[in-house]
Amino acid sequence: MSDAVPVQRREVAPSAWAAEAEAARAEGFTFFDWLTAVDQADAVDAPGLDVVCHLLDASTPKSLRRMLIRTRVPEGDALASITGVFRGAAWHERETHEMFGLGFEGFDDGTGRGLRPLLLPDGFEGTPLRKSFVLAARASKQWPGAKEPGESEHSKPTGRRRVSAPGVPDAEWGPR
Amino acid sequence: MASVDLPLPRVGRATDLAPQPIRVVLNWGRRYSLWVFNFGLACCAIEFIAASMARHDFIRLGVIPFAPGPRQADLMVVSGTVTDKMAPAVRRLYDQMPEPKYVISFGACSNSGGPYWDSYSVTKGVDTILPVDVYVPGCPPRPEALLQGILKLQEKIAAETLSTKGIRGKYAAHRTASAGEVTRGLVQPPARPVAGERA
Repeated sequence: MSDAVPVQRREVAPSAWAAEAEAARAEGFTFFDWLTAVDQADAVDAPGLDVVCHLLDASTPKSLRRMLIRTRVPEGDALASITGVFRGAAWHERETHEMFGLGFEGFDDGTGRGLRPLLLPDGFEGTPLRKSFVLAARASKQWPGAKEPGESEHSKPTGRRRVSAPGVPDAEWGPR
Repeated sequence: MASVDLPLPRVGRATDLAPQPIRVVLNWGRRYSLWVFNFGLACCAIEFIAASMARHDFIRLGVIPFAPGPRQADLMVVSGTVTDKMAPAVRRLYDQMPEPKYVISFGACSNSGGPYWDSYSVTKGVDTILPVDVYVPGCPPRPEALLQGILKLQEKIAAETLSTKGIRGKYAAHRTASAGEVTRGLVQPPARPVAGERA
């Protein structure tokens, strides 16, 4: 979607989350697009999870309006569910729950079975989209690829600092 | 639907003890009528489809697109990213195929996990769940690479000697399920609401 479509951005407190979604729907943003979270656990001020919700107003032809609502949920807190406002948010909240471990209070998708895993295989443990989640494959087996100079077995090691992405197991996981 | 158990595979005594010329003929028949079953999971499936279409046309190599289902297929091409969630389904369809059966792993993802090797959800190669005969490298490989992989597989089929003991050792010994277990009954339609009453 091009940026030619105007986007309204709103930052709200977690306590005002569901009310803000309801207000936006009353303003005409009746199309629920998506909801997800961003791990901001390493933010300097107010670490937590950013929860973002994208809404569209498609009521007027050729003048689409977009709305992004964002809130910062402190670590360990739960957020009010917006399934009472948009029923389609149930899948997104379930996905956010399993990927980030964020709880949604008052979640109701009509089945009465509550928040449960949606996409991950049975028996999966952990919240894989958090930055603290360790990609355990590297701990048990060396990464077969090489993208840094000196990383491949065919070239000489260089003095460059190794770049380490979030999730790559550190030295305390043992030698590799 | 009553479940029919697929018996353990066997080949006739003729194949076991057949002299070389007859074996060549039997292998020739098998290598040029490979009913293919495409397990398309990602962009590699597009290249596979391109290979099946008029320009590359793998039917001239005797690969017949497409088997109506795994139970009629001889060759499974796993093209794309196998995830841990999908892996049981891949294994299940592999178990449904009759022996002798062959698997081509098409593309970096199904060979080893490819660029998603680090991912929390991607299987590190389809060969961790089923035996693979030919690996086709590439991301995605060109259709010509698949044609080359099919030729390699056909060379392999031409050189093999099928015996009941060998075929059971290779395929049936590590079946994780019998055909009866991977059959599902008919799905009943949901109950219709009574006329005049809205759900």
